[in-house]
Amino acid sequence: MQLGHALIKEQLFFRKELMERVDWFIRLRWLFAAAGFAAVTVLAATNPDAPVLPMTAVFCCIFCYNGFFWLISRQLRRSDGRAVEVHIRFAHVQISLDLAALFLIIYLTGGLFSPVAVFAVFHIIIAGILLSPASCYTYGGIILAVVGSMAFLQKSGLLPVHPPLFHPASDLYEPNAFQWFPFFVLYAAALSITAALTTSIKTSLQKKGRELLHVSKELEENNCKLTALYEMVKVMGSCSGLQLLMDSATRSTAKIMGVKGCSIKLLDDSGQQLRFASTYGLSGDYLAKGGVDVCKSAVNRSVIEGACHAVGNIHESDGFQYPEEIAKEGISSMVCLPLRVEGSIFGVFCVYSDVIHFFKHEDIRFFELISDLTALAIENLRSELNKTWFLQKAAHQLRSPLDTAHSIIKTLVEEYLGPLAAPQKETLNRLEKRIGFLRKMISDLLDLGIRRSGSEKKQIVEMDCADLLTAIVPQIRIQAQQKGIELEVAVAEQLPKIHADRKMVDDIFVNLISNALKYTPAGGKVSVSLAADERGRLRFRITDTGIGIPPEHLPRLFVEFSRAANAKAFAEEGSGLGMVIVKESVDRLKGSIHVSSKEAEGTTVTVLLPAESEFQKSAHLLDTVSIDRL
Amino acid sequence: MAKNADILIVDDDKDLVSTMRVVLESRSYQVRTAANGKEGYARIQEKPPDLLILDVMMDTATEGFDLAYKLRNQEAYKGIPIVMVTSFPQKMAEEGPERFQHILGENWPVTQFIEKPVNPEDLLDAVDTLLTRSS
Repeated sequence: MQLGHALIKEQLFFRKELMERVDWFIRLRWLFAAAGFAAVTVLAATNPDAPVLPMTAVFCCIFCYNGFFWLISRQLRRSDGRAVEVHIRFAHVQISLDLAALFLIIYLTGGLFSPVAVFAVFHIIIAGILLSPASCYTYGGIILAVVGSMAFLQKSGLLPVHPPLFHPASDLYEPNAFQWFPFFVLYAAALSITAALTTSIKTSLQKKGRELLHVSKELEENNCKLTALYEMVKVMGSCSGLQLLMDSATRSTAKIMGVKGCSIKLLDDSGQQLRFASTYGLSGDYLAKGGVDVCKSAVNRSVIEGACHAVGNIHESDGFQYPEEIAKEGISSMVCLPLRVEGSIFGVFCVYSDVIHFFKHEDIRFFELISDLTALAIENLRSELNKTWFLQKAAHQLRSPLDTAHSIIKTLVEEYLGPLAAPQKETLNRLEKRIGFLRKMISDLLDLGIRRSGSEKKQIVEMDCADLLTAIVPQIRIQAQQKGIELEVAVAEQLPKIHADRKMVDDIFVNLISNALKYTPAGGKVSVSLAADERGRLRFRITDTGIGIPPEHLPRLFVEFSRAANAKAFAEEGSGLGMVIVKESVDRLKGSIHVSSKEAEGTTVTVLLPAESEFQKSAHLLDTVSIDRL
Repeated sequence: MAKNADILIVDDDKDLVSTMRVVLESRSYQVRTAANGKEGYARIQEKPPDLLILDVMMDTATEGFDLAYKLRNQEAYKGIPIVMVTSFPQKMAEEGPERFQHILGENWPVTQFIEKPVNPEDLLDAVDTLLTRSS
């Protein structure tokens, strides 16, 4: 697509118009020559004294040179992209020849008093619009000079006089000595006014065009900047580490602003020193000076207090802690802005130029926008990392003592610390079971917490679910045997591969199978199957002959900590989080879950996961939607 | 070699250390202990153990891995089998802690992972197998 300002530029100087009009002239000239021949024929029939032969010769000439122009024009069209100067020269040649032909016709049809003399106005207008004002006035001058000389020579008897067109043939034509001068003055005035009007309108149009060009250029520059800013924000949004994010911000900002370098300095805990957290385009020597003491740098102090500091010429400015290093680095101008979120300032964002007085007001305003967005991105990521850190720390702190207690109990139960009486062993077993349950509860809660904090790292890989299920089977077979439950596992051959996070699929399988085993009494049956459905999706189905889910509880099946009354009565332990984790995993994998159950008869849970291609399609769609929203 | 073998446990959880000590001493292993990576390295320098049992998170989140890599890069210690005790044996075996993910697969320093809570049987199985193999 042609850029807006380039289009305007072309229109502004009438270049495109000129190129198109060259063809238009030629077509018009065919008509003019044809009309001329017709007029000469009529003239020959109505006025025997009319100079039919010379006029026919003139129109023949017009016809011939127009044919020649037509050939040149075709040639020019073929070699598209020729310099506009060629077209200008071509227009000059055409106007000159047309004027020459017009002068002859004017002479043959009455000289100054010829009705055809008015046609010269068209040439003035055309030259005024398509060519320079000087050309327009030159052609005007030539026309007046030629027509004036013609009148003068005819008046002096040096040039034979032809009666004006449509002058009755019977009347003797003898121009009065006083007639030609006022006529010439009027003619000259008409041509001059036409030239002045045309050129002034054109000049005014060009001026407006220039203004439009300027605005359009600015708009395009802003558009480019905003697009670059959008890309920058998109990249920052996908950064998982603070350093990566800041490095991406400084690099992109330096490029968008077109400057030598860029830096992000963050305030330390004391609030007294600014440390370089990320830089781009600055030398190691410059950075070796270390952080900036807020109390020694008036510039940085004012920025920390919320001011925007733009220095046009650093060499004339004081208030820097390291003026020599700045000069050595070749920095001439800089703008420093606070990194601020909701009024709280945590750092300084600077851009450095090696050109003096580089930054304009608009540049600074744009940099403010970049700075605010970067501050927001840093703060968001920090809070996300803090949440993850907190949850991970909490996980460790909670699990650690439990794991140790659990290990101690295992050591006790297995009699490493001496033999145990049966009731003691039984009690310790119960204790071990409860600790195991507590551990599972903590794991589930923290898993959900990390997942909902949005900081969970998904690792989408192409995976074979049959392998995953087969790996779980031995473990669940033992559990089933211990409980006296019949377990049936059917895995179809040639299953579709899916793109998914292994842990999420594992969560779905393990939680659903554990639930089925947990809520099925001894002597019952649990069937697990993995197959492809008719739409090529992966279908995981688990059917049990367990206690079932009461109809009134079904709507609350995926609500945290919610357990049906019959479930509580049947099994004391249960976090009420297993199905929540299953549902969230299924949703994230863009699958669906269906539960059908009859109390005291059993439950069937079916999970459908999109096959590889479908998942990619829906993931792509999601990307598109999020982009549209932005 | 297996009996009386010298085992060093590096873990900051004293209760877990004493539990493991009880289990290992039941098989007549000689057990030494250290509460962090630095102390552990000092014990190893005093006398390289026949086997090392390491915790992952101690003073820092990756202290166990730091020590394991340090040993793997030293000719004198690189042959010591390392058992790592973790709450996430699968995650650790597949990814390691976050800081080490970039070197995943390159001379993975841990010989075997065992899961917390420590099952005495599993611990003894791992230790017996590794000591028999290395002898």
